Amino acid sequence: MKTVSSLLDSHWYQRYKRISQLNIRSSIYDVTNRCNLRCKGCFFFSSGEDKVAREETDPDKWAAFVDKEKQRGVNLAILIGGEPTLCFDRVEAFYSRMPTYCATNGLIKVPRDRFPDMMVGISLWGDEEDEKRLRGQNTFRISSNNYEGDPHTYYLYTITPNQIGRTGQVIRKIRDAGLKVHMQLLSNDEAVDGFSWRQGELDDLRAEMDEMLDTYPDTVISSKYYHQVITTGKMLDRQFGWRECPSVTEPLDSRDPKPRRLIHFIRWASDLETMHRCCTSATRDCSTCKDGAAHMSWIMVNKRAHMRSSEDLQNWIEVYEMFAKLYQFLPW
Amino acid sequence: MQQELTLQDTIEGVARIIIDELKLEDVTPQTFDPDLDLIDEVGVDSMDLATVALVLQDEYGISIDEDDYPKLKSLRLIAEYVLAHAPVKS
Repeated sequence: MKTVSSLLDSHWYQRYKRISQLNIRSSIYDVTNRCNLRCKGCFFFSSGEDKVAREETDPDKWAAFVDKEKQRGVNLAILIGGEPTLCFDRVEAFYSRMPTYCATNGLIKVPRDRFPDMMVGISLWGDEEDEKRLRGQNTFRISSNNYEGDPHTYYLYTITPNQIGRTGQVIRKIRDAGLKVHMQLLSNDEAVDGFSWRQGELDDLRAEMDEMLDTYPDTVISSKYYHQVITTGKMLDRQFGWRECPSVTEPLDSRDPKPRRLIHFIRWASDLETMHRCCTSATRDCSTCKDGAAHMSWIMVNKRAHMRSSEDLQNWIEVYEMFAKLYQFLPW
Repeated sequence: MQQELTLQDTIEGVARIIIDELKLEDVTPQTFDPDLDLIDEVGVDSMDLATVALVLQDEYGISIDEDDYPKLKSLRLIAEYVLAHAPVKS
C-alpha cells in the first residue's frame, strides 16, 4: 500500500501534515440580491438567481441562521451576492461567528475597524478596456484605491479570452498596489460576443498563467497544477462535469453514484431558506463550467486519487495550500 | 449466546471494511498495520471516514458521531471505539 511518507520527502511531508488536519468545511451565502454593478456575464443575474428568493432583512434572523450553520459543521463562510458590502450587518453576522471570506467588486470599502482581518476578494474582469466593456466602468481604479496594501485582500482576476497576452500588465498593477491576485477563468454564461473559450486559447492561457506565477511569485497565489486542471477540464484521467463536480448543494445532490464532494456544502439564497443547486449558476452547462473554486475543490476532495505518485501528491498539496492561503487558513 | 468481539478480530474486521470501501491496494486485513495513521499516512479524509462509518454502523450496530472522526486515526483506535460503543450481546 502506498503511504504518504513513502511518496514524499521530509520537506513535502511537513507541508502535507500542515494541511492534512485543517478539515475546511465551507458553504456559500448570497448576502443580498442587489448589486451596485451589472456586469455582462455575471451568472447571478444572467441566470435569474437574484429573483428566486426574497431577502431576509432581520439581523437577528441572520445571526440565528449563522449559529445553526456553525452547528452544522461549517467553518468557512463564503459570502457572495449580489454585492455583500451593501449589507454590512449581514456580513457581520458571519464575521463575528466564524472565518469569513467576502467577495466584492471593491467599490465600497470594507471598514477595517469593524472587520479587521476578514479576507476580501475583489472581482476583476480584465484591464481597463474590458472592465468598461463588461462592467461599465474601470473598477480597478476605485478598488485599488480602497484596498491598497491591505494584507487581507486579494484580487480574483477572472480572465477572459480577450485577456490572453495582456494578463501581465494587470498583474503588475495589482503588485504595484501592494495586493495579491488569484486567477480564474470566465464561464461565458451570457454568451457575450468574443468571450467564449476555444481550445487553442486555453492552451495559450495555461502557459501564460504559468509564466505569471513564475514571474510574480510574491503576487500571484496559484499553482501550475490548478492551471492545468482549469484550462483542460481534466484531472488525472477524469473530465470535469456534473458527474464529478464536488460543489453541488448536499441536500439537492441526487447523483448516483455519488462523486467525492464537499461535505455539508450548501449554497444558500438570501432568504436563508432557499438552496441553489451549486456554487454557481444552475443554468450553466457543467461541461464548460470554468468555476475556479469548483475546480480547486475537485482536486482537494480527491486526495487519495493523487497518491499514484510523488508528483501527483505534491500537485495536490500545492492546490490545497493555495486554497488555504486564499481563505486565510495558511499565511500567504 | 454470541461470542464476545475481541480487539484483534475487530481490528481485522475494520481493516477489511476500510480496504473494501476505500479500494486500497497491496494490503490485506492481516498485513494492515493497526497503528498506521490513517490521515497522515493512508490519506483518509472526512468523506472517507463518513463512508466507512456507515458500513461500521451496519456491521457493528454502532453510530459514530461526526465530532469523533478526528479521534479515529488508526485501525486500533477505530476498533477500540467500536468495542466501546457496540451494543452489549446477550
